Parts: sequence; C-alpha cells; structure tokens
Amino acid sequence: MKKKIMVSLLSLSMVMGMLAGCAQGGSTSTAPAAQEEAPAKESKEEEAAPAEETAESGDDVTITFMASQDWIQDAEMELGEKFTEQTGIKVDYQIVPSDQYESLLMTKINAGECTDIFGGQSSQFSIVTQFDVEKNAVDLSGESWAGNVDPAAAVELSAGGKLYGQPIQDVSACWAVAYNISMFDELGLKIPTNYAEFCDVCEKIKAAGIIPIYECVSDGWHHVCWTEAAVAATQADASYPEKLNNNEATFAGNKELTTMFSQLKEMADKGYMGDNYMSNEYADAPASIASGEYAMVLYNQGLGAEVHAADPNFSEDNIGYFVNPLCDNQALNVNYCGPSRFIFSGSKNIDAAKKYLEFMASDESLAYMTENVGKFNQLPYSNAPSAYSEVVQDFYDRYPKKVAVFQASVKYYNPAWMDIGADMSAMFLGEMTPEEVLKDIDKLRAEQAAAASDPAWK
Amino acid sequence: MNRNKVYPRYFALGALIIYFVFFFLPGLIGVGYSFTDWSAYSDELHYVGFENFKTVFSSDENYMKIITNTLEFTLITTILKNVIGLVLALLLTKSIRFLNMHRGIVFMPSVLSTLIIGMIFKSILDPKSGLLNSFFRSVGLEMLAKKWLVSSELAFGSVMAVDIWRGVGYIMTILIAGILSISSDYYEAAAIDGAGGWKKFRYITFPLILPTLATTTVLNVIYGLKVFDMVYALTNGGPGKATTEVLYTAVFKKFGTGQYAVGTALSSVMFVIMIFVGIYMIRVMTKNEVVE
Repeated sequence: MKKKIMVSLLSLSMVMGMLAGCAQGGSTSTAPAAQEEAPAKESKEEEAAPAEETAESGDDVTITFMASQDWIQDAEMELGEKFTEQTGIKVDYQIVPSDQYESLLMTKINAGECTDIFGGQSSQFSIVTQFDVEKNAVDLSGESWAGNVDPAAAVELSAGGKLYGQPIQDVSACWAVAYNISMFDELGLKIPTNYAEFCDVCEKIKAAGIIPIYECVSDGWHHVCWTEAAVAATQADASYPEKLNNNEATFAGNKELTTMFSQLKEMADKGYMGDNYMSNEYADAPASIASGEYAMVLYNQGLGAEVHAADPNFSEDNIGYFVNPLCDNQALNVNYCGPSRFIFSGSKNIDAAKKYLEFMASDESLAYMTENVGKFNQLPYSNAPSAYSEVVQDFYDRYPKKVAVFQASVKYYNPAWMDIGADMSAMFLGEMTPEEVLKDIDKLRAEQAAAASDPAWK
Repeated sequence: MNRNKVYPRYFALGALIIYFVFFFLPGLIGVGYSFTDWSAYSDELHYVGFENFKTVFSSDENYMKIITNTLEFTLITTILKNVIGLVLALLLTKSIRFLNMHRGIVFMPSVLSTLIIGMIFKSILDPKSGLLNSFFRSVGLEMLAKKWLVSSELAFGSVMAVDIWRGVGYIMTILIAGILSISSDYYEAAAIDGAGGWKKFRYITFPLILPTLATTTVLNVIYGLKVFDMVYALTNGGPGKATTEVLYTAVFKKFGTGQYAVGTALSSVMFVIMIFVGIYMIRVMTKNEVVE
C-alpha cells in the first residue's frame, strides 16, 4: 500500500513538473514572437521611450551574447546588470576559451543557431568573407549611436555602405613590448632600437635571474601578434599588402617575414621566453609581470592598470612601452580592427539586442568602461572620454611612423589567424621551419579565397 | 518451430523508416556532399569528383596523421581500458573491506562530464603550477615534472591517459557484472582439483567473461573512433599543427571555417573505416555463436 502511495505521489510530482515546464516555455516563447510582430516604426518609438516604459516589454526576454575570453570585461557585465535593472532584459554572457572560439562561432553561424549577439573581429575584408555579415548580421546603420563610431573603426565594420558591428575595445592601442621601468633602471637597460639591442637587453635580464619575456602560446593567438607588431618592417614596398590581396605576391619568400619568424624562434630557443611559454595563459600576464618573475610582455597600452590591479603596490606608471624590434622595426602598428559586437540576423530578440548595443554606446557606459578597464584609454566613439596617461602618450609620441597591420590590410589573413597560431606553435616545437609556416599561410589564404570564389585566385 | 510466434515483418517498418530517415539518409547525403565544393561562402554547389578525397589523402596535408592519430587513440585506449578494467574488476570482486566504496570511487569519473574532466586535468597537468608537477617537485622528483600537454612527445600520451582514467571505471563495472554471473560451482570444483588463483582465472574466469570483454571492446572502439570532447577540452588538437588532432576535432574545425565539403569527405573516410572495423568485429564476436 505504502509503495502504491509513493508511486502515485512520484507520478503526480512528475506530471506537475512537466506542466510547470510547459507553462514556463509558453511564456518565454511568446515574448520574442510579440517582438517579431511589432512593426519597425514601433521599435523606433521604443528607442526614444524612457527606460521605465521598456521595462515591461523586456520581461522574460533573455538575450545571449557569446564572445571570446577577454572580450567581455567585468565592467561590461556590471553594466549588463544595470541594463537589466533598467529594461528588464536579461543578458546571458557566454564566454568561450579563445583557442576554441572561432571554430565554435563559425559552426554556430553556419548552422544558423548563433547567439543573439556574437563577438567577432572587425575587418572590412573578413566580416564579408568570414562572417558574411550581409546575410548573418543585422544592419545597424540606423541606430542612434552609429554616427558616433570613429570613422576609421566604422570602415572596418561596414560592408556595402552599411554598418554591421559595434566596437567593443579601444582600437587606438597597439601591440608593443610593455616593460617594467624600475627593473630596466636597476639593471641599467635602455629601450632597444633594433633586434640586436633587444637580444642584449634579454641577455642581461636573463643573467639577473629574471625571465625576459612572458609569452602565452596556449591561447593560440597571442604569439601571432609578434609578427603583426613588426609589420612595418615587411613593407619597404608599400604596395605589398595590395599585391597580396590581388594574389600577385606571397608570404613565402618574403625576406623580412622569414627573418621575423626566425628571430621569434631564436628568442624561444635562447630561453628569453622561459620554460613555460607553451602553457602560459594570456590572462596571467599582468600577475606574472607584477610578481617580478618576468620583465616584458607583448601587450596593449593598458597593462599598467592591469598590473596595478593585480598588485596594488605596483605603480601603474611603472610600465613603459617600446615598439616590437623584430626585424629592426621602429614603427607603430595601427589596427582599427578589434573585437566587436554583431547582432545575429536569425535572432528572435533583435530589438532587445539593439537596446543592449544602444545602452553600451551611451555616454555613461563608455565613461564607465574607460574608467574601469585598464587597457581602454580611448574607445572609438566621439562621445567616449580620453584617458591616456603620460607614459602612454610619451610612447605614441616617440614613434611617428604608423603602418596598418595585416589583420586589417590583407584579405584572408584574419580568418587564418588561429591556424597561423598553430603553425607557429609547431615552429616553436621544431616541427615546422619559418619558411614552411609562411608557405602554409599562403595555402590557408588560398583555401579561403577558393571557398569564397575570389576572382584573383582563379 | 511454431510459425505463429514469429511477428509479421511490417512490425519492423516503423523502426526501419525512422532509422532510414534520421540515420541512414543523412549519412548518405553527407557522402554525396563530399563529392561537391559545398562551403559556407557560396550558395552554389558544384560536383568536383574526388577532389576533396585527393585533399584528404594528399601528402601536403595533415589528414593522414589525423586518421592515424584516431586509430592509435582507439587501439591504445581500448587495450588499456580493457586490461586495467579487468584487473580492477578482479580485485573488486574479492571480499575486501568497503567494497562498494572502492567500486564507487573507480566508477565516479565515468559519470562526470568529459569537458569538465578535461578542464580539471588541463589545470592538474599545467607544467608550472599544476598539481602533478607540484607534487613531484615537493617530494624531490623534479625530473618527473614534465610538460604533459604542451610537448609534442607527451601530449598525445597524456590525453590518452586522462581518457583511460575516465573510462576505466565504466568498463570495470561491466566486467564485474560478467564475473559475478559465473557460477561459484566452477571455482569450488577447480579448488578441489587443486587449481590456484592463476589457473582459476586462466581456465574459468577468462573464457567465461570473453563475451563481456567483446562487448566492452566494441564500446571502446566506437568511443575511440568518435572521440572529440576529451581532445577538444585538453589540447584542441595541439600543441603544434596536429599533435593530438583526431578526426572529429578536424571535422569540427573544417565546419567552423566553412569548408563543409572537406569536412564531409573526412567524415566519409571515417564512415568507411567504421564499416570495416564493424564488419570485422561482428564476425569475430559471432564466430563461436550457436545458431538455433
């Protein structure tokens, strides 16, 4: 008898659970449907409406936002909470390890099952060839904040004259060698101006029992930045990127690039990157510099604040910068491309996602991000505040020459980034030579070009 | 035989239709796509013959290494999971204290998510701050502290070791069930005849659990050929170009970059390998079966 009562109770609870589940599903599914039916005119009116009014419509709507590790800052998630308070729209952040992000994102986009908002690298070439934004992303040209985006950054987010993305990060910052100023002073070191001097500096640091460079190959992308950071050295012929885009030149056989890759391998072999560069992680860079175990790291111009956050006794101004001296480079690399937010065209919550983007581009949000994210000195919006420190300003003033990186100027380079990273990792392990890596970059670009039916590759 | 006891053939029709539509047909379409230039960059589809298969088997590519990696992973993990599982099963069918607790501990990794195990082990095997190397250093065995997941010599072995640790409990449980189903009469008779532990295992336990071992072998082989999540979480195919790359991580990456046709060609190659392995295993398993 007891058994029967138990079974009946269990069955009853299961049925109730199922009914509750169905009821919940019903309420959430109606919200996006109602939004879809709303005419465009109404959505424009909603934009102008105060936050209190929209709070009601946002009930039960959760927008999903997928991005690579380090693209979504804590400050953005804090703003996300404020956004939820104001609109009732919840934001589900899905942060994916950087070495796995690209494959996952492209699989989701190609399967038509992407998140409402997805993070992607901007580039006027790859947003078309890789993301096919005209098909997979929502046109944001008409949004209230679109006119505030820095024109140079907007170019990298536009296709066919329409804006498809919203910049997440400060694109004025560039990849440069960040160093511990007091450590350099103690060891009597000067900023190197060529590769030979750089090696001397590394030797002296190593002799002092400190690992010269913090490198993190395991993330899959960071070590590729070394080549981008010295890209000027490859462009004695300024038309080289254009020739690459027209399939009139190759990476293989480029003397400067071969030297650059060989020097990078040499740095690893000489122990300038320590023993653990293959397993180090990008996220640990500030703490590693703060600990004094490492002297330098290839980073953007926000490291000082991040090191200070990791160790409050470490002064923010104790981090200085110089350009990557591989191949004797002495020019700044500029890249108006950077991680950006795109709204997936197949999303059922397009209006809610647009509201989130509008919120993130507001004066208050941009000021909050600049104030709370160390590496954000000048977000690419006309309404964003500027926060360059003296050290950073001095760095920019020291190098007047600027050259655009391959990521921005060369077709099919950005989509191959992680594969190039894998090749370079094989080079560090001695499985590939610098010449083979360069040859493989040509092959990877040709595969992308063939898939995209690029006439220059036919 | 009473013919009335045989169910009519149309009873199987529902299952056959579902299997055909949801399993067989997509597989067939996939094989068809491997002869085209299907990609995410174009809406048009052209027949390209064996072009994708030429790419897969080209010496300029890494795909042969990836196929070899997959077969190596399958072979090694299948053998070691069976051997270690059998040893553990023999130990944990004896009268020992806290028997169920021991069984539970060994079985536990099998119920955990593979991705979570992968992430935990990524941290444990970190060469600088990982638990394993820290332990070796603390007991003065510095020379055993290695770069487990980031050296080309050790990475694949480390991935296989973690996978064996995860899967061995499951195999052990199946083998325990097989051992416990053997009648104790055999062992008593053997003991009277003076047989020792080894002879009892050699002439009673082993022959009688062979069908169970065949089952665990099939399960391990299928898992090994289809392995994805463990490799994805631990190394994502690295370090380097394809040190630990297996077929399904390669297919996943090809789909990720929108090169669907090469991805389906790789899957088709896998499909053919699986058919051959499957036929061979069915033949071996049914060799001694008595047909009534």
